[in-house]
Amino acid sequence: MNEKYEQLIADYLTGNLDQAGKDRVEKLIASSEIDFMEFRELEKLHDDLGTLPVPKPGTEMSANFYAMLENEKQAQKKPFTEKLKMLTKQWLHEITLPRVAYTTILLLIGGWGGAQLSGNQPELEQLSNEVQNMREMLMVNMLEGPSAAERLKAVNISSELPSADTEAIHALLFTLNNDPSVNVRVQTIEALKRWGNDERVRKGLVESIAGQQSAIVIIQLADAMIELELKNSAPELERLLEERELDYTVQQKLQSSIAVLM
Amino acid sequence: MDSTSDKALMMKVKNGDLDKLGLLFERYNRPLYGFFYRMCKDCEVSEDLVQSVFERILKYRDTYTGNGTFTTWMFSIARNAHIDHYRKQKRKGITIEIDDEQLEQNNPDEIPVSNKQEKKDILERALEELEEEKREIIILSRYEGLKYKEIANLLDTTEGAIKVKMFRAMKELRDLVNVITKECSYE
Repeated sequence: MNEKYEQLIADYLTGNLDQAGKDRVEKLIASSEIDFMEFRELEKLHDDLGTLPVPKPGTEMSANFYAMLENEKQAQKKPFTEKLKMLTKQWLHEITLPRVAYTTILLLIGGWGGAQLSGNQPELEQLSNEVQNMREMLMVNMLEGPSAAERLKAVNISSELPSADTEAIHALLFTLNNDPSVNVRVQTIEALKRWGNDERVRKGLVESIAGQQSAIVIIQLADAMIELELKNSAPELERLLEERELDYTVQQKLQSSIAVLM
Repeated sequence: MDSTSDKALMMKVKNGDLDKLGLLFERYNRPLYGFFYRMCKDCEVSEDLVQSVFERILKYRDTYTGNGTFTTWMFSIARNAHIDHYRKQKRKGITIEIDDEQLEQNNPDEIPVSNKQEKKDILERALEELEEEKREIIILSRYEGLKYKEIANLLDTTEGAIKVKMFRAMKELRDLVNVITKECSYE
């Protein structure tokens, strides 16, 4: 086929042709210069391609991105000598107190449990509960730390917990409403979404909307409302639209979210 | 310039307002993930490559000039990340052929869930079998919504050449779909 016609069909497939272009294609088909059957097949194939699904990325991808961004921000704030010190400290920090303590206790419990239990189900469950409690404790402590990178790690620890208790939920909701770092708050929303069936989490997420100032956090919350089908959040989102001077992207996002939720 | 446009946000990132990269991440992490996933069919690798793209955007933010669209710049980084990844894999001696699991997924011996599903599976398999360069043009145009001119800039060629390549890639894809459909009906 003539290259000009090939280009014309390529434009037709992506909807780049104006009316004159479309008329030209029709004429070429009528005069058999473009094979009608082939044209129809390609048009259908182009449509069919749109039906192929792509899986969603995991929440870890987002966590890794915000951790990387937070590190870059910390590094940007410090002069060169400080950066050097920070790298050394970071390495040392990886092996200091809370982690050493946590790892040692886990090892001891694991060793002791392995020796004692030998397949005893109730005791195994008890042990697993204890490990979860320790993880929660570690998470809650780290959430109160001064470093945003550490707090991000704490939020990520929550994703390893199979279920949440009141303390963990409260700690995460407190972080969502009060943490000074946007990145930590965004990751906290991701973490809370995992427990989206818990009524306390659902209520806490909706209540958090009114207090958020950051565009990124508001957008994330709006997405979470849709994902968790929190229809009762629509009035909160509407109030935000009415009472705040939000930037255009956020306004659009909120309007589309409200439309889905209503 | 609209203060929330891609270019405006990236210029802010360049000038030190790193939080704005969060907005760009929210806008583009899924399209980028989709691009990588359709190219390599590996969820984990796709996630790593998305992370690599944003690391590179941060690292090379000073080189961003604002010429051309942000997406063209971003996808040129994405293409390089993809190429580098497979170069490294090759050096390590890891083959980049479709893995067994993937082949199993596309095994025509499996009973199709439905005729519609079977057609989707065949199309997916045909897309995988298409030569990488052709598959990339279809993915960038059909799924990522890049204009032919933008793809031409990415691949350092002319708009006309990309249109011709797109047309021929689609024809080849159709032929592959027909061959696989025949194979399936014989079995």
